Amino acid sequence: MKTGEIISNERLQNDYFLVRFHVPEICAAARAGQFVHVRIDRHGDHILRRPFSIHNVEADGALSVVYKVVGHGTRELSRLPAGTVCDLLGPLGTSFSDAPEDATPVLVAGGYGAAATYLITKQLPQRGIFLIGARGEADVLLTDVYREAGYEVQVATNDGSVGTKGFVTVLVEKLLAENPGRKFFFYGCGPHPMLMALAKILNARNQKGELSIDHLMCCGVGACFACVVKVKADTPEGWQYARACTDGPVFNLDTVYVE
Amino acid sequence: MADLTTKLGGVTLKNPVMTASGTFGYGFEYHNYYDISRLGAVVVKGIRMKPSHGNPTPRVAEVTGGMLNAIGLQGPGVEKFLHGDRYMPFLRKVGAATIVNIWGTTIAEYGEVAARLDAERDGITALEINISCPNVKAGGVAFGTDPVLAAEVVSTVRRATTLPLITKLSPNVTNIAEFARAVEAAGSDMVSLINTITAMAIDIETRRPKIANRTGGFSGPALKPIAVRMVYDVARAVKIPVIGMGGIMTGEDAVEFLLAGASAVAVGTANFVDPYAPLKVIDGISAYLDRHGCASVADIIGKVEC
Repeated sequence: MKTGEIISNERLQNDYFLVRFHVPEICAAARAGQFVHVRIDRHGDHILRRPFSIHNVEADGALSVVYKVVGHGTRELSRLPAGTVCDLLGPLGTSFSDAPEDATPVLVAGGYGAAATYLITKQLPQRGIFLIGARGEADVLLTDVYREAGYEVQVATNDGSVGTKGFVTVLVEKLLAENPGRKFFFYGCGPHPMLMALAKILNARNQKGELSIDHLMCCGVGACFACVVKVKADTPEGWQYARACTDGPVFNLDTVYVE
Repeated sequence: MADLTTKLGGVTLKNPVMTASGTFGYGFEYHNYYDISRLGAVVVKGIRMKPSHGNPTPRVAEVTGGMLNAIGLQGPGVEKFLHGDRYMPFLRKVGAATIVNIWGTTIAEYGEVAARLDAERDGITALEINISCPNVKAGGVAFGTDPVLAAEVVSTVRRATTLPLITKLSPNVTNIAEFARAVEAAGSDMVSLINTITAMAIDIETRRPKIANRTGGFSGPALKPIAVRMVYDVARAVKIPVIGMGGIMTGEDAVEFLLAGASAVAVGTANFVDPYAPLKVIDGISAYLDRHGCASVADIIGKVEC
């Protein structure tokens, strides 16, 4: 458990915010795909921590998180000014592994899932492709930072307000269809239905990769079994529940169980 | 400094602070944060004969002053618990006083799992009989809301083992003291209370319950006054030691339970908020005893002045 001051906490666009915490020790240990578990509660009425994917870490000890205001915790967080001291657990969970050197990394994000794949661009020597799917233009996030990182950016929106109309999986299918024989390594993060659709497509085409999957989380350390997701297993049902917080959030495509 | 040693019948603990079953995994998970042998006891998540998947997700929901859960007793089963690296062998290795919470879907299964644990009892301080989980269809609270069945479970386990027995009581009854007396008569060496209170939360946008099981168990600080009242009632109704829990976040919270008649306490939901919560509760009790010039924990047990 580390305490760190909020360096800045600013609106990125619409309901999306970027908060930076000064937590050098967590920054030094953090790997792409891991998360921090943040205590936001100031009044003792909503006591549980909130988990956030680590978006970025900087040499000066700044750890950034991108979040959308969706409920009580994120609303409270959005009101905390710079200088507020917060308590963070982390880095927690499993991390994305490095793509093979001869593979093109493809980052597939749904909405603010885009935050969780950014550190990969710093960890891999090769450049790749960033595919983002969102409801509409207002939810298309972080495309500039991926472009700056040298990634090719493609956008899909459900309402067609920007980029290709449809789900992000449309972009994935197009990429695979147009590049037979090219070696890719996929990294996915986004809403559960999107990840399950992505897993289906990628597994059917024998693609390699990893997905960051989570569920409503509680303890963050593997004790409470709240955040479980189904993974393939040698059980009569063919699956078992694994904890997103400690067995994940990053799971290999091979192990993800799609119903 | 006050003596924190705690006697629960024939069981002696180094301090009166335990972890509540289901909130502390199998101890392993929190050992990254501190040496869990510093606790009075580690009470592990419920164990039955076979592995269990538990309930569908979502399994938790935050509510004002706490949370609802319906995990549904996901677990590895008794064999993996006894021999898996991250379970009993680990607890033995680190020297944690271990209380194993047990359950079954039938009364016979409670006896079987108790016998199995008894056969490899090295490192096991006591068994806690879970007749109060509100989130499983068979077993759990079905046995905890009928005093005859509750007593039958306890006497079945009593026949299967000589290990000290704690029976964890459900608050989802009209008169909890009646249940405490029933399990005392059936051979339970202690009672622990309270388990969570059956509750529900609804997402008004989707009009669906917030947890997949529809209802779940309410825990957290909002629970404390209810739990203190029940501990007070039970402590006056039985002669066996009482372990109090329900919403304990601080040492001061724990002292309330001790004054109400608990001989020891358990920290539950607070673990999710602060992994170090049980250690802070130990320090808080110690500071209270010093501040009040008490030589030991025993000096304040049941000392509420009414």
